[in-house]
Amino acid sequence: MSRKYSRKKLQEAGQGYFFMSPTLFVLACFILGPIFYAVFLSFHNVRLLGETAFNFVGFANYERVFDDRRALIALWNTFKYVIIVVPCQTVLAIVLAATLNAGMKGEKFFRIVYFLPTLTSSAVLTLIFMWMYNREGLVNFGLESLGLPTYDFIGDPNVALTAIMIMNIWATAPFFMVIYLAALQDIPDSLYEAAELDGAGPIRKFWSITVPHLKPITSFVVIMGIIGTFQLFDQSYIFSGGSGGPDNSTLTVVLLIYQYAFKTMDTMGYATAIAFMLAIVILVATLLQRKFSKEENLY
Amino acid sequence: MKKKWMVSMSVTALLAGGVLAGCSSDNGGEGSSDEGGKTTITLAGWGGNPTEQDLLQQTLDDFEAQNPDIDVKLEVIADQYMDVMKTRLIGGEGPDVFYLDAFEAPALIETGVLEPLDDYVTEEFDVEDFEAPLLEAFQQDGVTYGFPKDYSTLALFYNKTLFEEAGVEVPTTWEEMMEVSKALTKDGVYGYGVAPELARQYFVAESLGGSVVEDNMANFGSDEVIEALQPIIDQHNVDKTSAQPSEVGASSGGDMFGQQRAAMVLEGNWNIPYLEETFPELEYGTAEVPTINGEKGTMAFTVSYVMNAASEKKEASWKLIEYLTGKEGMETWTSKGFALPTRKSVAEKLGYANDELRGPLVAGAEYATVWANGTNLPTITNNFNNQFVSAFLGERPLDEALKEAEEQANSEIEANN
Repeated sequence: MSRKYSRKKLQEAGQGYFFMSPTLFVLACFILGPIFYAVFLSFHNVRLLGETAFNFVGFANYERVFDDRRALIALWNTFKYVIIVVPCQTVLAIVLAATLNAGMKGEKFFRIVYFLPTLTSSAVLTLIFMWMYNREGLVNFGLESLGLPTYDFIGDPNVALTAIMIMNIWATAPFFMVIYLAALQDIPDSLYEAAELDGAGPIRKFWSITVPHLKPITSFVVIMGIIGTFQLFDQSYIFSGGSGGPDNSTLTVVLLIYQYAFKTMDTMGYATAIAFMLAIVILVATLLQRKFSKEENLY
Repeated sequence: MKKKWMVSMSVTALLAGGVLAGCSSDNGGEGSSDEGGKTTITLAGWGGNPTEQDLLQQTLDDFEAQNPDIDVKLEVIADQYMDVMKTRLIGGEGPDVFYLDAFEAPALIETGVLEPLDDYVTEEFDVEDFEAPLLEAFQQDGVTYGFPKDYSTLALFYNKTLFEEAGVEVPTTWEEMMEVSKALTKDGVYGYGVAPELARQYFVAESLGGSVVEDNMANFGSDEVIEALQPIIDQHNVDKTSAQPSEVGASSGGDMFGQQRAAMVLEGNWNIPYLEETFPELEYGTAEVPTINGEKGTMAFTVSYVMNAASEKKEASWKLIEYLTGKEGMETWTSKGFALPTRKSVAEKLGYANDELRGPLVAGAEYATVWANGTNLPTITNNFNNQFVSAFLGERPLDEALKEAEEQANSEIEANN
């Protein structure tokens, strides 16, 4: 019998694990444990209240997703949301960052002002926006004074999701702006000077120097944006009072998971199955994004 | 070397212990502590307005004075009451006694987490005294799981000033209601403020003999139900004399009525103190809900006290329920008229039937439909509300919307079983 590790090495490793054990314990208890438990739940029909029961049902919970019209609506709503919000917030962030980096007066002041929405809690933000979106609220007042049609943003299924999109773009773009701002500091001034000598204007400089140099950052921002937007929950929850209404228009995948997990009884297993499907969708979206941007070396 | 081992082990143990202690801190709140022969029981409910909370506290103080060996700890759950309650029951941390809405009752009873109360009931408690339909909402197979603490029905709230200006009478039939709405609708004011949701429209939906729920499955796509609900849709989209709160920037029917954006609304008992506090200047009256097809109808919403089957203090818990839903406790609790008493004797004593504002609400109890129907009502309601709104807003015909919602509701119900 040959021993691979010497006694000393084993002892050293053991010591290491001992030192790490508080962290390992926390990780196992609050992250790994719940994940494995969720995997377990997703293959079972779970009954938690009263007499706890787990019936193994195989892939039935996963199959059910495809027959569930509300799940498909939720997925479609979330998809629309991602497709519109991610590009908008990315473009807005890059434009805001570029203007703030142009060396204007009062730069720092605007930096703070722009960043404020990100500091506000999203629940508070949603409540404030619901006031503004009120039928008689600020937004409609503005639209009316411009001679534009007004909307019942909260009650009309056609515009409810759009209202949440606008709110979220406004709230998250500044966060990514800060990331862009940091990256902009790394672009050497000499490049801009050289371009100026060649006679490039500000727009040309932006497209030919700023944008290409920010590409790795853009890749990061888009991935984070995709993950964040796919997980939209709090805004649509508050907006619709938890129902995903009006007419399922603000129903997102995470909101649906919440409803199945906590609102309807005995559907915890199905809820975890949808959660895994969502994780797969996010994974695929992220991989696709990486493939297109070909910036795999960075992240 | 040995020493080092000891040190690292004890550090680890200390840290792990700290984490564990953090996880399990504050178990005391669940009434598992007996101090000096006193039994502590927990009572959980949602919050009301401050006056209502004072009234409940007063009732509990009276109870404690009569039962010096029992301490009641009141826990107010501010938001998402049922989510919190279900999670706590699953975790074995449920309160001894708690509020339960009739709407949620059948599903919770079926899980077996509620204690059957029949064996505790004494002759003196007088079960016969309760309004039968309200009590039945908390019974399953002849077993009683909760005693209703109070209830409210819906009545027609009308704005006296607007009615005078328009020169119309208070409607007694649904046709009259639609007619006067036309006279009342002008300058951004709507005749009728409507809540397009099943909890409020249930009695309308069933007014032509159809049933919304049949054999615990959704049945609201049936012709009778669609025909009965069509006038609600037509009044909004054809007459344009009704609106839902969000269309006038209001947060609820009461708010819409208080802001004088609707001349009539169907609201419950809760609306009276609300209007008094928020819109004290408003001149309004109440009347019974207009009859549909010559039949009287309204909704009744009721909440009961139930006992946790896992409670270790069942005797004391029953004493609390017995007092709170008994003649004396109920009289204190309903004395200010925030809620109506479910006992006939208390109702008679407090005389709300002759109250100018509350009279029509009390009168409704006789013919009201209790808002509860089987274990699947939450799923059915969610699907109904979602699609009914789209018909209400004129996006699609009512029959198409409701048939689709019914199908979806039933497929969800089948998949759950």
